[in-house]
Amino acid sequence: MVKSNTDALGIIFPNAHDNLIPEMVTHRTMASIPFGGRYRMIDFVLSSFANAGISNISIIVKQNYHSLMDHLGSGREWDLTRKRGGLNLVPPYAEANVKMYRGRVEALASIVGFLESQKEEYVVMSDANIAYNFDVNKLIEAHVTTGADVTVMYERREIPLGMKDDNYTLRIQDGRVTELLSNDYRPGVQNLSMNVYIIQRETLITMVKDATIRGLVYFEKDILARNLELLNVQGYEYTGYTARIADCRTYFEENMRLLDPANLDALFPADLPVYTKVHDNAPTRYAMDSHVKNSVVADGCIIEGEVENCVLFRGVKVKKGAKVKNCVLMQNTVVEPGAQVEYVVTDKNVKITTDKSLSGSDTFPVYVAKNSTV
Amino acid sequence: MKECIAMLLAGGQGSRLYALTQRLAKPAVPFGGKYRIIDFPLSNCVNSGIDTVGILTQYQPLVLNEYIGNGQPWDLDRLYGGVHVLPPYQTATGSDWYKGTANAIYQNINFIDRYEPKYVVILSGDHIYKMDYSKMLDFHKEKGADCTIAVMEVPWEEASRFGIMTADAEGTITKFEEKPKEPKSNLASMGIYVFSWDKLRKFLIEDEANPASDNDFGKNIIPNMLASKEKMVAYPFEGYWKDVGTIDSLWEANMDLLNPKMPLDVWSEEWKIYSRNSGMPGQWVGASAEIDNSMVTEGCKVEGKLVQSVLFAGVKVGEGAVVEDSIIMPGSVIEPGAKVRYSIVAENVTVKAGAVVGERPEDMDNLENWGVAVVGEGVTIGQNAKVGPKAMVVKDVKDGEEQW
Repeated sequence: MVKSNTDALGIIFPNAHDNLIPEMVTHRTMASIPFGGRYRMIDFVLSSFANAGISNISIIVKQNYHSLMDHLGSGREWDLTRKRGGLNLVPPYAEANVKMYRGRVEALASIVGFLESQKEEYVVMSDANIAYNFDVNKLIEAHVTTGADVTVMYERREIPLGMKDDNYTLRIQDGRVTELLSNDYRPGVQNLSMNVYIIQRETLITMVKDATIRGLVYFEKDILARNLELLNVQGYEYTGYTARIADCRTYFEENMRLLDPANLDALFPADLPVYTKVHDNAPTRYAMDSHVKNSVVADGCIIEGEVENCVLFRGVKVKKGAKVKNCVLMQNTVVEPGAQVEYVVTDKNVKITTDKSLSGSDTFPVYVAKNSTV
Repeated sequence: MKECIAMLLAGGQGSRLYALTQRLAKPAVPFGGKYRIIDFPLSNCVNSGIDTVGILTQYQPLVLNEYIGNGQPWDLDRLYGGVHVLPPYQTATGSDWYKGTANAIYQNINFIDRYEPKYVVILSGDHIYKMDYSKMLDFHKEKGADCTIAVMEVPWEEASRFGIMTADAEGTITKFEEKPKEPKSNLASMGIYVFSWDKLRKFLIEDEANPASDNDFGKNIIPNMLASKEKMVAYPFEGYWKDVGTIDSLWEANMDLLNPKMPLDVWSEEWKIYSRNSGMPGQWVGASAEIDNSMVTEGCKVEGKLVQSVLFAGVKVGEGAVVEDSIIMPGSVIEPGAKVRYSIVAENVTVKAGAVVGERPEDMDNLENWGVAVVGEGVTIGQNAKVGPKAMVVKDVKDGEEQW
C-alpha cells in the first residue's frame, strides 16, 4: 500500500551533466538553463515533485549556482516555503579536508546527517537535464508494489549523440534490472536511464555510508551496477513526453519540438502546471504589420517585425523590418530594425544590431553568448 | 506605526457592467490581458511605498478575496501591515452593511487606528491609471493640507459626469460640486484622496452621527470639510486615468493599451503592474494565425485572425475564426470559423463554430444602434448562432438562434 504522497522527500542534482553544454553553463548550472519560453530546466522536476505533494526538497549544488539561487528564491513559486521541509539548497560545505564532490555518493554523503533526521519513508532523486512533467506518485506506487530496493526510471529511445559519454542504459528482465551499463557503444533503441531513482531513505543512508568507507564515488557504477544480484533494482518505464538536453543542438531541437501543439500540451497538461519564477511582464504586444507564425512566445515581448518557427522568451523585442526564423531567443534579446537571423540561439540580453545578418543551419545553430552584441 | 496607509474601496457592485459583474465585484473584472482592475491601485500603492492596504469589500467578494489571497503577488505579504480584506462585520451592538463610501471607512476606524497613521489615502477599485501616491502625499504635506484631492482636467462637455472642483491659484479648493449641471470648472475629482487621519477621523464620526447623511465621500465628507473651512487642495494629475465603470469605458480602456499614442504603458520596467500569475506556458501562434495590433498572453493558442484585440490567459482562437476590436477574457474558446467583433467576452465562454458575436459599427453617425456586445461568464454561444451588437448575453444561446 502506498503511504501518503507526502511520504517522500526529493533530492535534485542541478549540476549533473553540466559538461554536455559548456557554452551555456559558464555562468549557470544545467538546472538553470532557460527552456521553453519562460522556464528553466529545474522547473520541470521541481513542479513534478511539488504537484505530487513532495514538499521537502533538497537541491545539492556544486558550482555556478548563483543563477539557480536567484531563480529559486525561497521556493515560493513552487509552494515550497514550508516550516517543515520546503526548499533546501545545499551548497558545498567548504572545509579543509572536504573536497568538492565528484559523484552522487559523495554529494549524498554531505547530507547524510540531514537525511537521518528526516521523517519521510522514501527518497526520490533526479537530475535536471530532462524536462518532464510526471505524476511522481506513479513511480512511488510502482516502487512500493514491486517491493524493490531501488527503482530507476528510464525511457525507450536511442542514446543522443551528445550523451554518448554520459549515460546509463539498463538490461531488464521481468521488470528487474539485470545489467546497468555506462556509455554503451551499440546503436539502436535502448532502455536509457533518466537518472530518476526512488529508494527507501534508510536504505539510501546505509548505502551511502557503506560506499563512503570504501571510497566509492558513483551511485550507479559503484553501488547499483556491482550489486544487481543482491539488490532488487526495478526499472520503471516512463512513456510520457521528455525533452532531454544533450548538447547545444538538442537544446535547439527540443525547443523547436514545442512548436508542435501536441508536444506543448504533453509537456504542459492543464492539470499539472509547471511553475517558474514570475517576472510580472505585461502581455506580449503584436504591433501593426507584425507577422508571427508557428511560434511559442512568452509574455513581455514586443513584436514589430517577422517571426516564424521561433521560441521567444520573456521580454524579447523584434523591431520593425527585422526577420527572425527558426530561432530560440532567450530573455530580453533585442533584434534591431532590418536585422535578419536564422537558426540562431541567443542567450539572455543579446542584441542583434540594425541590418545585421546572422545565420546557422538546422544541424548547427549559431549560439550567441549572454550579454553579447552582434 | 505607519506614516501612511491606503484604504481601497472595492465594494461596488458595478451594476453598469451588467453581465460582467454577475458573480464578481467590479475591481475583480479582468483587464488588459493579464490583470484585474484592482491590480492598478494595488500596484500603485506598493510602487509608491505604501505597504499597508485595507480593501473594503461587500458585493460578491469571493473571486476578489481569492485573487488577493495573502497579497504576495503585489509584495504585500508583510509581517506588519500588508494587505487586508475588510468585509462588513458584526459588533456587540449589531451589524451593518457598508452604507456608503464614508461609512465603509467609518466601520474600519479601528483597523486604521492600529497603524497610528498620520495620513490615509482613499482609493477606488475601478480606475485604470498609474500614479505615484508618494508625490501626492508630499504635495499634501507641503501645502499643509487636511485633505488633498487628485484632479485632472476633463473635456468641458463631460464635466457634468464628475465631481468638479474650483481651485484658486495656490491650488486651494474653493468650491466642490458633485456632478453639476452647469460646471464652473473642468477640474474633475479622480476619487483619490489623501487625508490627515485625525481630521478625517473626526469628520467620519460626525457624519455617522447625522442620520440624514448618505455617508458618502463626494456627497458628504468633502462638502462638510469645505464648509468647515478645512484646508483642502487640488493635486493636479497629468497622465492616463480612466474610470472603467461602464461597458464602453472598459472596452475603450482595453483598446487604449493597443494605442501607442496613449500614455498607458504596462510594459515599462519602472512602474510595473503586478498581478496573480496564471502559471500557463507561453502563447502558441499557429501557422495559419494572423495577428495585427493585439495583445496576447500566456496559455493562448491562436490559429485564427486577430485584429485590434486583447486576449487573456488560456484563450483559444481556432483556425478561420476572426476576433476584431474585442476583449476575450481568460479561458474562453472561439471555435474555428466563429466571428467576434466589437465585443467583450467574459471568462470561460465558448463561441461555437460559425457563430457570430457583435458587429462593427457600419454607420459612424448613428452610434446609438451600435455598441459593444457582451457575453457573460460561462455562456455557450451555439453553432451558427448570432449575437447582435449591443447585446447583453447571460444565458446560453442555442445553435442557430439569434439574440439581439
